[in-house]
Order: sequence, then C-alpha cells, then structure tokens
Amino acid sequence: MAFQILLNFFLAFLWMFLSGSFTTSAFLIGYLLGLLIMFAMRRTFKTRFYLGPVVALTALLLRFLYELIVANFQVLSIILKPRLDIKPGIFAYETELTHGWQVTLLSLLITLTPGTLVVDISDDNKTLYIHALHMPEASEAIASIRDSFEKSILEVSR
Amino acid sequence: MKHTNDVILETVTSVITFIIFLFAVHLFFAGHYTPGGGFVGGLMTSAALVLVLLAFDLKTLRTILPFDYKWITTLGLLISVLTASGALLFNVPFFTHAYDYFDLPLFGKTSLHTAMLFDLGVYLVVVGVTMTIIQTIGESD
Repeated sequence: MAFQILLNFFLAFLWMFLSGSFTTSAFLIGYLLGLLIMFAMRRTFKTRFYLGPVVALTALLLRFLYELIVANFQVLSIILKPRLDIKPGIFAYETELTHGWQVTLLSLLITLTPGTLVVDISDDNKTLYIHALHMPEASEAIASIRDSFEKSILEVSR
Repeated sequence: MKHTNDVILETVTSVITFIIFLFAVHLFFAGHYTPGGGFVGGLMTSAALVLVLLAFDLKTLRTILPFDYKWITTLGLLISVLTASGALLFNVPFFTHAYDYFDLPLFGKTSLHTAMLFDLGVYLVVVGVTMTIIQTIGESD
C-alpha cells in the first residue's frame, strides 16, 4: 500500500516534468491520471489496490463518529434516569487482530466510545479486558464490538 | 513492579513522538516574530525524548540517539559563545547581531539573523541539560 502511494506520487511528479508546469493543479492532474493508470494495472500489484484501504479507513472514521454520538446519548440516558439500574462488569474479549497497531486502534476506539473502557491487554495481545458501564449480557457486548469496530479494522488491513 | 503489556503506549508513542518533534522545530523557528524560541523548542524536544524513555527504556533511547548529552550541552555553549564573539571580528561590541534579507530557493525572501545561531546554542544546551538530568536520575537505582 505504501509502495503504491509512493508510485502514485512518482507518476504525479513525472506528469509535472512532462508537462513542464510545476503547479499544484498540474500535480493534482498527474495524481489523478496516475491513479487511473494504476487502477488499470491493479492486477500487477502484490497487495490490494490502495483506494480500498483508504475507503475502508474513511468508513471506519464515520462509523466511529456515529458510535460516539449514539453511545454518548446512551450514557446520558443512564445518568438522567432517577433509578440507577445498571449492571457494570468486566469481560474478556478475544480478538482476532494480530498486529500491535490494530490492537491499539481497537483499544482506543473502545475506550473513546462511552460506556466501555479497556482495562488491560494480555501479554500475547489476544485478549482485551474491557470494563462496561452497563452490560446485562457479556455475549451481547462482545458481539456489538465484534460487529462494529473489529470488522472495520480488519477491512482496512485486509 | 508488575509486568504489564504496553502495546498501546508503545504504538501511540511511536506515532506521537514525530508530531512533538515537528512541533518543537516549528516553535524553534517561530521564535523571532511569534512566541517560541530556543528554550521552549529545546524543552519540547526533551519532552519527546522523555516520552520515548517512558514508553521504552534508556537502552532503546541510546540505540535511537547515541549521543552523550553532556557533549550536546558543551556544543550548544560553544555555538552561543562563538556567535556572540563573532561580532568582535567586525570591530563592533560583543553580542552585536547582524541580519540581512536573502532570496532563498523554496522559502522566497527570508531574513536570516545571527540570533538564530545563538538560539540554536540555547536549544542544544536545554536539550542536553534536561536529558542529562533525567538520565542521571533514571540510572541511579
């Protein structure tokens, strides 16, 4: 992916040198043309064409913002209830993510969405211990994280 | 001291250190017309190095930047003194600064000032002294 971005930049510079105009617009035109050529030649790359991860990353960002707003309102409703009927608890979450940065990203996303907080990570980066403000059922909480964030992160680095 | 898994701290450090370094350089160059300068730039650089120290350890920092920070302090003092005494060569009082406008490639019309060199000396002294203090305290177990 990094190699593809570098190649795209190289093609953009090449376009600037060929057209002899060193402006931002020439660079952008060259970049888009390079993108088009690379898209046509995408079978030659070892990894996935790099627009895929970029789109997936944008989708992850939007999903995170959505979850952030919804979860904040959920916590607000818990706070404003006259009766406190929450069930806090800590559950273990087995993750399929392998790289350190993926686990970090997942932990930060879980921590930033209100109601859940990563307390600890096991030494082999396989198990996250998460504290939840309200979890009637641990399996539900696990499934919600698995469906929302972990799938998106896997999509980015597929 | 219980062993904990620092994967989050280490990953975030390896990203954020670059940002802090860049901000320190920005502060250093901003010092002439806007708030900033050698002192706060040096402190910010030291902050980035201390973050590396906190996330990893002394050995890792030694492999990244194999400097003896006492020598960095010495170098900074030397640069400052030489910048100040350079004025004596032109028969003007000690510490007289000179500046001029130059047409540099990429930057356009830029004013270059010998105070910048003095600031570089201050920067190096601050980084050297801060890191020497922290490393000395950290090593004395």
